[in-house]
Amino acid sequence: MTDVTDVTETETGTDSGGAARSGRDLSSAKDMIVCEGVSKWYGDFQALEGVSATIKEQEVVVVLGPSGSGKSTWIRCINRLEEHQEGLIVVDGVELSNDLRNIEKVRSEVGMVFQQFNLFPHLKVRDNVSLAPIWVRKKPKAEAEEQAQALLELVGIPEQADKFPGQLSGGQQQRVAIARALAMEPKIMLFDEPTSALDPEMIKEVLDVMKNLALSGMTMMVVTHEMGFAKEVADRIIFMEEGQIVEVGTPEHFFTNPTEDRTKLFLSQILA
Amino acid sequence: MSEFAGAGAEIGSFYPMPRPDASPPVEEHLPPREWLKKNLFSNVFNSALTVAAGLLIIVMLRGLLGFIFNPLRQWNATAVNLRLLMTHAYPADQYLRVWFSVAAFLILTGLSIAVWRAGSRVPVPDVGKRVTALGVFVTLSALLAPFSGSARLSWLAVAVFLLASGLSVSRTSKDRSVSSLSLLVGVCGLAALSLWVIPYGHHSFVIDRTPKILAEPGTVDLTTKLPWTIMLLIAVAAYGVGLLLRDRIPAKVARTSLVLAWILTPILLLFLVLRDPDFDMGHVLSTDIPIFLVFAILGSALLLWLTNPETGEVGRIIAVTVLMLAFGSFLTPMRMVIRILMLLLAIFSLAGPTFSGDRRTRHNYVAIWTGTAVFVSWLITAINTPSTAPVPGQFFLGGFSMTLMVAFFTLLVSFPLGVMLALARTSNMPIFRLLATWFIEFVRGVPLITILIFFSVMVPLFLPDGMDLSEVAAVTIGYALFASAYLAENVRGGIQSVTRGQHEAAEAVGMTTSQKTVFIVLPQALRVAIPPLVGQVIGTFKETSLLIIIGLFDLLFVAKAIIPNQTAFMGSTRENLMVISLIYWVISYSMSKASMRIEKRVGLGEQ
Repeated sequence: MTDVTDVTETETGTDSGGAARSGRDLSSAKDMIVCEGVSKWYGDFQALEGVSATIKEQEVVVVLGPSGSGKSTWIRCINRLEEHQEGLIVVDGVELSNDLRNIEKVRSEVGMVFQQFNLFPHLKVRDNVSLAPIWVRKKPKAEAEEQAQALLELVGIPEQADKFPGQLSGGQQQRVAIARALAMEPKIMLFDEPTSALDPEMIKEVLDVMKNLALSGMTMMVVTHEMGFAKEVADRIIFMEEGQIVEVGTPEHFFTNPTEDRTKLFLSQILA
Repeated sequence: MSEFAGAGAEIGSFYPMPRPDASPPVEEHLPPREWLKKNLFSNVFNSALTVAAGLLIIVMLRGLLGFIFNPLRQWNATAVNLRLLMTHAYPADQYLRVWFSVAAFLILTGLSIAVWRAGSRVPVPDVGKRVTALGVFVTLSALLAPFSGSARLSWLAVAVFLLASGLSVSRTSKDRSVSSLSLLVGVCGLAALSLWVIPYGHHSFVIDRTPKILAEPGTVDLTTKLPWTIMLLIAVAAYGVGLLLRDRIPAKVARTSLVLAWILTPILLLFLVLRDPDFDMGHVLSTDIPIFLVFAILGSALLLWLTNPETGEVGRIIAVTVLMLAFGSFLTPMRMVIRILMLLLAIFSLAGPTFSGDRRTRHNYVAIWTGTAVFVSWLITAINTPSTAPVPGQFFLGGFSMTLMVAFFTLLVSFPLGVMLALARTSNMPIFRLLATWFIEFVRGVPLITILIFFSVMVPLFLPDGMDLSEVAAVTIGYALFASAYLAENVRGGIQSVTRGQHEAAEAVGMTTSQKTVFIVLPQALRVAIPPLVGQVIGTFKETSLLIIIGLFDLLFVAKAIIPNQTAFMGSTRENLMVISLIYWVISYSMSKASMRIEKRVGLGEQ
């Protein structure tokens, strides 16, 4: 796992299609997430239909699609917040099943950032970040708090450590959520529409943190509507509609020359 | 110019230029006549309502005052019997113990006020307004009460004094403020001073062959004046010590130790001071201490091992084994001490893996276990030792002290039990859920009186041989079970108010279900549940008056029962009842106020 704290710069705006990391050969990298024929039903309604994909180490995958297409459901199945009924999900070699020990192992390697932040309101920001390392990773309190402070510096808000989440702006809260997920030193980071609940002014600060994270080599799976982010940072884009994967491709392929009709329709609506 | 100048030039003239901050319009202070006209007599309906309400208030006040100041009233029935009302049959020569207990509570109160910074600053004009309001009330009462001419004039003089001082104080500037604590101490000081100065009259009740009251003019008896003055001084001194300590000790340490002191002190006072157990040192040394040492040492070793993160599944298996052994011990003939200590050890063992961590965490956990073991061993030993306070009749406490004691122990037991029931009812495991639901629904369907009678009469029949439970203890346990069911529902409401996102966030970070419950769900749930929980506390405190049904001498019973036996005070039960109603109301209102304070601190209702 790469050391996130090395990165200090932001590569803004001038790249396209992850150009900073273009030319990387990911074909020999390890398979981090393997999904084969994953299907999920909510009662009679089928939310996921035969979803198959492989995400390699250090790869950044952006999942696009209209609402109700199953993007959030799929990403939540990967850390077992939802259960899939058919198919196979293997995360870093561990198969996701009903075995509680496997689920706990997977969850400690996979960090998740939610659309609604979901910070713990009764704890200070620093305690929000250090709670899990202390009780789940069994770190000594002083070490966990030092790590928390370092992570808060990384996401750009070291001075807010003693405040409560309710006293922070939306963008700051989401950055604390990212720091909290990073505190567990995960191998994979999942983002479920991280900027959808934010004011436009604050979206950029969160996207910058995510960009930094990607450049430092984290394996990321991002569900988002931010096309700019997808163009700049993604290695691959997966387009989903009605529970099925419709098209997969690099950003250049996807935005300039998509194959499927449904993809073209979606792009015309989004980029119109 | 400001940065908006450019924008304004681009967009057009309808972009407003910012003005310097205007101050809000000053609220006009209406003169009294205008205020009355606007607020009370604004239209016909309001005027009619005002007049009707005013008449109602005057009539009720007149009736109340007529009752209070009727020459037939014997308020000294209460004054004389105050000791009976407070502690009933506690032997008078041992009364120093009671004063010691009161002093202990006042010390804790003084320290707590200092450490939690419970005082606030009151603007001086507000004080003046309150005094003015009091003056108005006294005027009204003086006019309505059935006084003699001279008494009415003297009360009116008092009223005029209050009005004048109130009005003059309320005109001082708003910037000056006084601490609410100074006001409190001032008022109490004046009250204490009045005991020494104003001739309330010296009453003593002589229990002879013909009981009679000796009423002598003069100030109150020394046995009343002196202790209360000393108590006031002790409380103030404790506050001062608290001020010193709060600067020297970190806040968290001070507050945790005070909370612990509040929980332990009533128990210690009851079983060590008031009851004065006659410890048999031989027995203690040969049996009780060795049992405690075995549990403390072996238990600590076990817990150290269980909280080590490296201990895997074996730890959980061992913990469950201990639990089975504990349950088994309840079925075999064994000392109660051993059974309870085993059960506690089982609980600590099961919770061990949740709190595992580095060395300091483990040592803290073991220290908590040792402390709990010490306390429980001592408590059970003390309970089983006979008391040396010679008391005729049932129980050595009665009256107000029994009300307080039953309320305290009920709350102490029912709160943890209620929280556990709520967690069981919302858990994923069907067996816990079913058992908890059945228990709660059963208890909620049964009246409290039924439970009290059941526990006082039937429980001694159900107990295994060798266990001896006093009636008060049995009834307290019954009451605690009853209260815990209602508490469980309140806490369950709080638990269900924690959003799904919180659960998901905790799970996503890798926390186990117990860790999630303890660190994330319960703190938020309990915050939300504070209003109904405080209501529960107030209800529990007042419902202790139902102990009258089974003949235990709580405050209400004593107030009602003592008068018929005192021929000098025939027919004066109502005075007693009025005074104890006032006592109940004062305490309940203080708890409500405290709850409002707590909610404000915890930030509830502020989105």
